[in-house]
Amino acid sequence: MTEILEALPRKDAEIKKVLHPLVSEWFFSKFREFSMTQKYGVLSIWERKDILISAPTGGTKTLTSFLSILNYLVILAEKNQLEDRIYAVYTSPLKALSNDIHKNLIEPLQEINELAKSKKANIQEIRVGLRTGDTTPSERAKMAKKSPHILITTPESLAIILTSKKFVEKLNAVEFCIVDEIHSLDNKRGTYLSLTLERLNELSSIWPTKIGLSATIEPLEEVAKFLVGIDEERSVRIAKVPLEKKIDIKVLTPVEDLVEDSNIGYEMYQLINSLIKKHKTTLIFTNTRSATERVVNHLKEKFPTEYGDDVIAAHHSSLSKQHRFDIEERLRNGELKVVVCSTSLELGIDIGYLDLVIMLGSPKSSSRALQRLGRAGHKLHETAKGRFIVLDRDDLVECSVIQKEMIEKKIDRITFPRNCLDVLAQQIYGMAIYKIWNIEEILSLIKKSYCYYDISKSDFFDIISYLSGEYGLEKSNVYAKIWYDAETKQIGKKGRLARVIYLTNIGTIPEESFVKVKLASSGEQIGMIDEGFLERMKKGDVFVLGGKKYIYLYTRGMNIYVKETISRSPTIPSWFSEMLPLSFDSALEINRFRKLMREKFESKKPKKEILEFISKHLHLENQNATAKSIYSYFYEQHKFLEIPNSGIMLIEKYKSEKNYLLFHSMYGRRVNDALSRAIGFLTARAGGRDIEIGINDNGFYLAGEKMKIGKVLDFLNEKNLEEVLKEAIERTDVLARRFRHCATRSLMILKSYKGSSKTVGKQQMRSHFVLAAVKKLTGNFPILREAKREVLEDLMDIENAKLVLKWIRQKKIRVKIKDTSLPSPFALNLILQGQSDLIRIEDKQEFLKRMHKLHLKEIGNK
Amino acid sequence: MAKNNKYIFINKSLFFPDKGILVIGDLHLGYEHMLRKSGIIVPITQINELIKELKKLIKGIKKEYSLKKIVFIGDIKHSFRFEWMEKREFIEVFEIIKKEVGKNNIIFIKGNHDTIDYSFNGKMKNYYVDEDTIFIHGHKQFKKIEDKKIKTIVMGHLHPSVVLSDRQNIKREKYKCFLVGKWKSKKIIILPSFLSMIEGSNVNEYDYAYEDYFSIIPKKNLLNFEVHVIGKDSVYNFGKVRSLIK
Repeated sequence: MTEILEALPRKDAEIKKVLHPLVSEWFFSKFREFSMTQKYGVLSIWERKDILISAPTGGTKTLTSFLSILNYLVILAEKNQLEDRIYAVYTSPLKALSNDIHKNLIEPLQEINELAKSKKANIQEIRVGLRTGDTTPSERAKMAKKSPHILITTPESLAIILTSKKFVEKLNAVEFCIVDEIHSLDNKRGTYLSLTLERLNELSSIWPTKIGLSATIEPLEEVAKFLVGIDEERSVRIAKVPLEKKIDIKVLTPVEDLVEDSNIGYEMYQLINSLIKKHKTTLIFTNTRSATERVVNHLKEKFPTEYGDDVIAAHHSSLSKQHRFDIEERLRNGELKVVVCSTSLELGIDIGYLDLVIMLGSPKSSSRALQRLGRAGHKLHETAKGRFIVLDRDDLVECSVIQKEMIEKKIDRITFPRNCLDVLAQQIYGMAIYKIWNIEEILSLIKKSYCYYDISKSDFFDIISYLSGEYGLEKSNVYAKIWYDAETKQIGKKGRLARVIYLTNIGTIPEESFVKVKLASSGEQIGMIDEGFLERMKKGDVFVLGGKKYIYLYTRGMNIYVKETISRSPTIPSWFSEMLPLSFDSALEINRFRKLMREKFESKKPKKEILEFISKHLHLENQNATAKSIYSYFYEQHKFLEIPNSGIMLIEKYKSEKNYLLFHSMYGRRVNDALSRAIGFLTARAGGRDIEIGINDNGFYLAGEKMKIGKVLDFLNEKNLEEVLKEAIERTDVLARRFRHCATRSLMILKSYKGSSKTVGKQQMRSHFVLAAVKKLTGNFPILREAKREVLEDLMDIENAKLVLKWIRQKKIRVKIKDTSLPSPFALNLILQGQSDLIRIEDKQEFLKRMHKLHLKEIGNK
Repeated sequence: MAKNNKYIFINKSLFFPDKGILVIGDLHLGYEHMLRKSGIIVPITQINELIKELKKLIKGIKKEYSLKKIVFIGDIKHSFRFEWMEKREFIEVFEIIKKEVGKNNIIFIKGNHDTIDYSFNGKMKNYYVDEDTIFIHGHKQFKKIEDKKIKTIVMGHLHPSVVLSDRQNIKREKYKCFLVGKWKSKKIIILPSFLSMIEGSNVNEYDYAYEDYFSIIPKKNLLNFEVHVIGKDSVYNFGKVRSLIK
């Protein structure tokens, strides 16, 4: 196993000693001393020790990572020993990173050059090359001819480079490899990069020293292993830079009474306006693209004299690259007064001086909240000032608890998806394009990746089988992508178009496709929604778009038709598909708070004392209105029913036009997704009827006929959960959709093929049909297995769901069922949010017969 | 109604026992190839399934009745352009049918997708008349349709299907269906698409929204048509479209 060591800070003199005079002079002309991060990192890198550096934003991580590399290259350049090859690779998941790189790499280089010139020192030119998806072919060709010494790239572009013979020649002795923003790679992009790094290790004749840069995150040991891979001979140092930025954070409610006050929308904008006015530059996070647009429009409309296009801007991922660059530039130059973004400005690009961060709605985890807050007072010694603005009472409790975690430095843990077979298929294809391999050689390379160290041989060979055209795909014209000779144990690429197909289809982010929303009466287009959202909609559903409510009528091709409504409230949240899940850790923290609150009420403590407790526990000093709102929310729940908490899972039985079972399962939506589907599936199967489920972070509901829950809860436990879930998701839309993503990543469905795009077919081809076709071939198709894994482990959180079931079995959690005439206050948001999915159990033909009998009965009655 | 105008629903097709005429709805041969061309690499399974279904259907009919003619009521193929794969599938289906009823007893009606005539037994027809019954695709009006002698119109084109849902509106399933009704005092029978992959458009789901030029039957008239839902073993009458709109 990889050895994990602790990095220690080094003395300034020690560091100074290794710096070339030019570099040293340049450095001290800019800075008085080495930063804390530099004390931890610079020498380790100089000594070629792999290192993971964890420090908050503004902790000079980027320059730390480049300083030793620049120093090394300057020394070579002065001796005229700089060769025409790539010495260092820097990769970041952000496309919009060029400004940060400019400040921390290009500028220092230029200044060192000028310094050299002024001293009449003759040094070779040190070249930096940028290669991303946006780099033009001519720029690429130029780069291949005259290679940069430092290559700046994204994980996807790096993988492409590794299939290009010309580039690989320049990479045969890479000495440094920087992986920036590691904390944002806890997804398939990360899995993908972990294999790309192993490919880089493999083709470089010397070990590229790994430098990982991360925001404050846990668990650092796992992140460090992710960075360097798994091998006896590897070791990595962790530098947990003890930097603490002062924070000033508060939870604000626009109105005193979040339930009754109908003025909340108006008051919220008044509050936002007054906050913006009191500060120089404000950044607002809204979580979603649609909310971003809405907030900007409302501010402009409500305060036309305050917010013109010269002082306010929206920033989110659907905007063009140019547009986003422009906004970032104006933000840095201090031209903008306020920028509203979804989540897009969360990651590390330098956006200059900000003095306030507003978070509209919960950021859903403490590390995300800290990341956002870190954008204010970018420099370390400045206090980061942030304000949550909450609009409902669940949000209020959630943000208050997250604030507590932030102040108490409780960071939630990330995990990397592991053994993903779709990513593996794409990478093996890429490897086969580059050269002919021995199969054992490929397998041992893969097993060095942290994400694949324990992959089973059968999984690996199933992917080889898939790629080489087995599974009867070949006879249906799904041609093989590689050949595998079992005798010589060699594999290689197949087909002349291999490289082109690979280049145009590479990547792990599923392509989002948008559907136009039009008014049925006039055909006028009013906006776009994404396909995932459409798949959830039924006729008559009401949703919000651009601040207005619409009823969904029907779909035609790439358009959906709607009519406007005023009277009905939304049946599905428009932000559903973009929604961030609440972290399990934060959910547990809320549960603990609920437990303490219940105890206070049960022991009949006076209101004043409870208010004091709330303020102290959640660090809401001087925020009396906020504490009071929390008090009344809990008081109402206590009076009406009882307060569910870490020790009690409450189930409300409630009947309206549907029969509901409302579960107060405060574990975040990923866990609730798993629990609700397992419980829903077993209940549906026992009753022989389909069941509707609704899920949010605070709980879930089941709705349907014939729901006998008792036996189901006795049956389900942490041991059989996985088996039940695999069966439960078999026929769901979500599996079909995830399968399509996996099929795209494993190049079964080509995003781009022979120059034609797939949108026409995509629209007509419902994803469940692709799935049905594969199921017909074999139920054990590896890409289908991967889709199931993705649903269970990445989309849902099966591990923590098992934990909850274990607690129930161990009686740490008591399950209580109660009849209610109305949903309790805590359940209100859940029931308003509406349906998430349907668990299908009744056979389509049986259903038809049943419905026909009902129809005949109705006719008979007339 | 003329005596020999009795018809029965057999699965997705329509059969006139006295005439010995079997009617097959929109086939859209080549549909999968169109998908593949646009980059969705799915195994080609539909054509084999379709042929299996056709063979089984014909065998079943021949057991009980005498089968004299097969009428394909248009949109036999999918692409608007010439496609080799489509032609191959067409010939494959054609050869099988030919063996069953003979080349001269196959009638192809021209649909809006039938821009190229792959058939070799003469031209595709705009309509076919048998006594008082006319077989058309349904996208285009012909003078002959309005002929007083014509009492029954058999057509496809609309791919009708229906969504059934339970009382709490929790379970919803989609089924192909026939529509039977009256228009301009003639009886109309609309067939669903024969290809399983094309599920069809739900006649009860929305303000059944095709433009009026799309079909010879105005959309509002469909509300009074009877829905015959196709189950696995039987076809079920669910009353009028109007009563299924929720």
